[in-house]
Amino acid sequence: MPPINIAKLIKRRDFAPVLNRLVAALGASVIIEDHHGKLLLSTADAVRQTGYPVSVAGEIIGWVNGNEQAGAIAALLCHQAESEFEKRTLAAETLNKYKEITLLYEMVEQVTCCLDTKEIARLVIEQAKRVLELSSVAVLLLDKESGLMELVATHGQELDGTRSIRPGVGIAGSVWSSGRAEIVNDVPADPRAAGSARVSSLMCAPLKAKDQVVGVIKLGSAQPVNYSADDLKLFTTLASLAAVAIENASLYEQLQEAFYTTVYTLAETIEKRDPYTGNHTKRVMEYSLAIGRTMGLDQETMTRLQLGAVLHDVGKIGVRDAVLLKESALTDEEFEQIKRHAVYGEEMISGISRLRTAIPGVRQHHEKFDGRGYPDGLSGEQIDITARVISVADSYDAMTTDRPYRKGLTIDEAFAELRKHAGTQFDATVVDAFFASDVMEAYFIANSRKKILDTID
Amino acid sequence: MPKVLIVDDEPFIRLLLEQTLEELEDDGVELITADNGETALEIIRAEAPEMVFLDVMMPKMNGFDVCQAVKNDLGLSEVYIVLLTAKGQEFDKQKGIDVGADIYMTKPFNPDQVLAKTREILGMAP
Ligand SMILES: [Fe+2]
Repeated sequence: MPPINIAKLIKRRDFAPVLNRLVAALGASVIIEDHHGKLLLSTADAVRQTGYPVSVAGEIIGWVNGNEQAGAIAALLCHQAESEFEKRTLAAETLNKYKEITLLYEMVEQVTCCLDTKEIARLVIEQAKRVLELSSVAVLLLDKESGLMELVATHGQELDGTRSIRPGVGIAGSVWSSGRAEIVNDVPADPRAAGSARVSSLMCAPLKAKDQVVGVIKLGSAQPVNYSADDLKLFTTLASLAAVAIENASLYEQLQEAFYTTVYTLAETIEKRDPYTGNHTKRVMEYSLAIGRTMGLDQETMTRLQLGAVLHDVGKIGVRDAVLLKESALTDEEFEQIKRHAVYGEEMISGISRLRTAIPGVRQHHEKFDGRGYPDGLSGEQIDITARVISVADSYDAMTTDRPYRKGLTIDEAFAELRKHAGTQFDATVVDAFFASDVMEAYFIANSRKKILDTID
Repeated sequence: MPKVLIVDDEPFIRLLLEQTLEELEDDGVELITADNGETALEIIRAEAPEMVFLDVMMPKMNGFDVCQAVKNDLGLSEVYIVLLTAKGQEFDKQKGIDVGADIYMTKPFNPDQVLAKTREILGMAP
């Protein structure tokens, strides 16, 4: 492909009239052809006499043939092509810079409001793919427990081998230790690659938060590439943006974890009054989340659901032991007292702003789909979705748990009970979602879970 | 031959948009530029381009007025109009809808998205 297309050049709106006027004024007899000899323009009486090349950047892009004036036309075309070429080259460079700016701009917007480290890693990879020549990218983050950098996101296969790295080992390991970004354009020749390299060229940059290296990002190409200092600069800018965002996200995660731990400890303390329910809260939470995922609930609802499920029975703290733990049949008055736990629950959490979203789940978890529940006798969709879900999860767990005075139902029996009351006590859609969820998996997750966090990915 | 008109009083933006869409020229698309609203309207009337990138803030005739004139012209209502607005500048979306703009785009724009969108509107393979 010639650097400038002469056919397009002579048809340009701003140039074609100039060319035509000049041809007419000079009385030139010309035939203009492209470099393949394809006819582009010819005056009426044109005859071939002398051919003048039109060239730009040392390459012939076409010919002007004709009488002696054709030489002047060729010179004009050369000049025009040359200036067009300069303009194009400049424009291409400008556009490249502009792309980098938009990239950083978008990165800042997306990444700074993103509070999930994996998501940030994925965004960084997306952006790097857009502006740098590469076939693989890997983002590794420091795992505080193992003290190693662990792979959190990748693109391409060549860097997949590095699931984790140690300080000082390999190219990424030495970038970690030195804290300085590097270009390695000939990876196989680098002794640190230890012959295992599947990329020909790579760049690696540390992710630094307050002078601490908290991760590394490396990108490579299976085909040899000559990464330049400019590329490295762009790459380290990306890396430092990512580092700030990751630092933010991990602070947020810690806060989040502290919050959930507090909430869970509260729920657990209350649960401990009734020692036979062991792990009930965790299971209700897991069942609820499993149902929510099956139903495709959005993130905000899932968070409310999780909190509601954990806190659904906190109101029991307001019910006397003598009633709460009574093993024989309850009198009507005692049952009325038990029923109050839903309202007590709301009262307890309404003072804590971050827990307020859980109120519907807590207050309404004993409402029934047909309106025969308590405390408000709501029915159908008047009952918040989180409460409809918690109700199924809570009932199923209560049915299947052994009590000192009665054996729990088998799983099949409990399923049959749910099915029987779907549409009356329970929302049938929720019951269906429960059946479609991996209930057993949720059970085991609940029982093996120490921390309450990590459940919402 | 499909035509795309780029209208902006800033030469820098014209140059960037032209360069962004340059590869379409190889598929027979003609790129035309204009640096003000009046010229733009003349070109649109004469050439009926398939698509127009139209800056909102221009001296003399602004993008809203050009857009409205085009969309009110029976023969031209099919012209696809992308309003260009600057980030941080107050953009009256309601007005954009009222004058019949098809979409709006904020500067700095993402060149890859602009190219993809243009291909889509012109019915070309991505
Ligand atoms: Fe309850």
